[in-house]
Amino acid sequence: MIDFVQNLISGIAVGCIYALAALGFVLVYKSSRVINFSNGQFIAIGAFLAYALAVWAKLPVLLAALLGMLLTAGLGFLVERVFLRKMVGQPIISVIMVTIGLASVLDGLMYLTPFGSGNFTFPQFLPQGGLNLGGISISYPQLLAIGFTALFLVLFGWFFQRSVLGVSMRAVADDQMASMSVGVSVQRVFALAWAVAGLTAAAAGIVVGTVSGLNQDGLIAIGLAVFPAVILGGLDSVPGAVVGGIIIGILQSFSTAYLDGVLSQAGLVGGGSQYVMPFVVLLVMLWFKPHGLFGTEEIERV
Amino acid sequence: MKRVMVIAAVAVLGLAMAQGRTVHLLWSGAVTGPTSDVGGPYGAGIEDYCKHANEQRLIPNITLNCTVRDDQYQNPNTQRIFEEALDRAKPAMYLGYSTGAMLQLKPLINEVKMPTLPASAHIGLIDPPNNQYMFLPVSSYSEQVVALMEYINRTDKNARIALVVNPSPFGRAVVDHARRAAQRLGQTIVDVREVGGGNLDNTALLRALDAAGAAYIIHQNVAGPVSNILKDAQRLGLNRKIRQMGAVYTGGSDLIRLAGDAAEGFLWASSYFTLDENTPGINLQKQLAQRYNRSADTLNSTNYTAGMLAAAIAVETMRRAAQRFNGRVDNETVYQALIGMNGPNAFRPGFAVSTKAGIEIDFTRTEQTGAEGLRVLEARGGKFVPVTDPFTSALFRQVRNP
Repeated sequence: MIDFVQNLISGIAVGCIYALAALGFVLVYKSSRVINFSNGQFIAIGAFLAYALAVWAKLPVLLAALLGMLLTAGLGFLVERVFLRKMVGQPIISVIMVTIGLASVLDGLMYLTPFGSGNFTFPQFLPQGGLNLGGISISYPQLLAIGFTALFLVLFGWFFQRSVLGVSMRAVADDQMASMSVGVSVQRVFALAWAVAGLTAAAAGIVVGTVSGLNQDGLIAIGLAVFPAVILGGLDSVPGAVVGGIIIGILQSFSTAYLDGVLSQAGLVGGGSQYVMPFVVLLVMLWFKPHGLFGTEEIERV
Repeated sequence: MKRVMVIAAVAVLGLAMAQGRTVHLLWSGAVTGPTSDVGGPYGAGIEDYCKHANEQRLIPNITLNCTVRDDQYQNPNTQRIFEEALDRAKPAMYLGYSTGAMLQLKPLINEVKMPTLPASAHIGLIDPPNNQYMFLPVSSYSEQVVALMEYINRTDKNARIALVVNPSPFGRAVVDHARRAAQRLGQTIVDVREVGGGNLDNTALLRALDAAGAAYIIHQNVAGPVSNILKDAQRLGLNRKIRQMGAVYTGGSDLIRLAGDAAEGFLWASSYFTLDENTPGINLQKQLAQRYNRSADTLNSTNYTAGMLAAAIAVETMRRAAQRFNGRVDNETVYQALIGMNGPNAFRPGFAVSTKAGIEIDFTRTEQTGAEGLRVLEARGGKFVPVTDPFTSALFRQVRNP
């Protein structure tokens, strides 16, 4: 039983990291219907900015993390102003292609920095080891991930339900033309969405960097690994991103614990089911409930 | 006017002859992209040794043109770079990188008869077919893993071992040999698991291996995933119960930096000398890193040593080819020089440990591994220290082709 609970808790902790990484993705989609393929690059840039501030500028890690998140938010804002503002009103596929190009450009720019190759680690700012309660162990970086996710979930929940700007974002996501006709600044909403997406991506990058060190490809890969989570939760749902992330995390933990051993015994070297299961879920979800668990089902009248 | 032109032509010709010919050496590897933590320092090692070779005129009358290309760990890129090099200025030797790309290029390398030294030590590269021109600079991953199993057997008979390998040909290369070795040693392989990068939590993995009764985990991976497993094992208190160890790319300064205290006690099979040792190769490595302004991380990396060793073998082979074939340095003469690098002609650059017979690097037509000696090192006090003398795995030779 302890094993089961431990695997569950570990899965939730990893799921919270996925959820953090998925939030930025969902925010951009929610406001502009754009699938942001450069989410992974934002995760990496946020983490490396925090690292550079902590190690090169010798700032305390928490301050460096905060500044890193703000700078990445600024980058998100800038990207929207420079590349995406001109795309308002263009076909969605064109905008998506811009984000794919953006990912390549950001990749290339990172390769020009010392972070392009190699492994880096944040200076120690959390206690070593983890919390141990009744035989259940969880590391401090994982607790940080859970804390960040809970914080963002509450903040976004309030933001989208209670704030004027949040309601404007939902309105823009629903119908850009109608929003503009009642005086909502679509451009402002888009810029804000990209800035907040940058902020959450940086938070995810910092958490991943704390858990497993900083490596450009590893960080970018997290940005792509969240696809199953957002499809499962619903592309335009903030709670969906969190629930989807956690389900995927638990699923990976359980497949490693219970399925890989069986596969290995059956002669399939290594199992590796934790890599496959999220995508199996993605396929099943697209098959039976394409809008995800919490996504908005759009009904178009012909 | 005519006289001036003739004098100028003679002067240009004389200058060209004095400078000698240019010979091309190609390396393509992951300077960026996946595994660039290995490829970056490896490429830097090659680059620096080439500069040193030209500055010191290690190959008389020949200028070495070392081309270092970034293939981003993409096999199609590697293939394109290699084919381009063949079309433009055929290199005399090719220094390769990844297991996947090298396996893919193997038939072409054989067809164009290109002596090749890959960074990958996958045994399949020197196994038939199409293996004639492939040479591993150091002992294969499989030999390193079998050597670790022999090391375990010195103190613990009938050990229960789990293998944790990278989900790629690079990782899987060792599994069959390890199984055969376990059978001969009376050990049990309790489980084989595949773990790649992005392993944010390894609790389930470690508890499953603990439940299966594994007393040892042998890794065939790169440092990143291994460091995450070590940190989780420490958090779960399993570091006292399960001893972890790995082949050459798992260890070194990267692992220490990433895993911190959790790396303590990790056993590492490697053919290379460490930076703390006083050998000609390591001393040269320190000098070159300083001369070419390399960072401390690059200098400390075993992969920098590995790149230098590959380049040193290439340069020495070319020097011998030039000497033996009247200055003719091409893929054919280099191949002849390489397979003649044995016995009294073995090469001792001082980057890798020697076998009991005192041989550091040697190759023959059929023995295509350079440094056959290896040691087991242990992480103690934040650095790796050797815990065995150099040895070769006798058992590996029995299980390689049963």
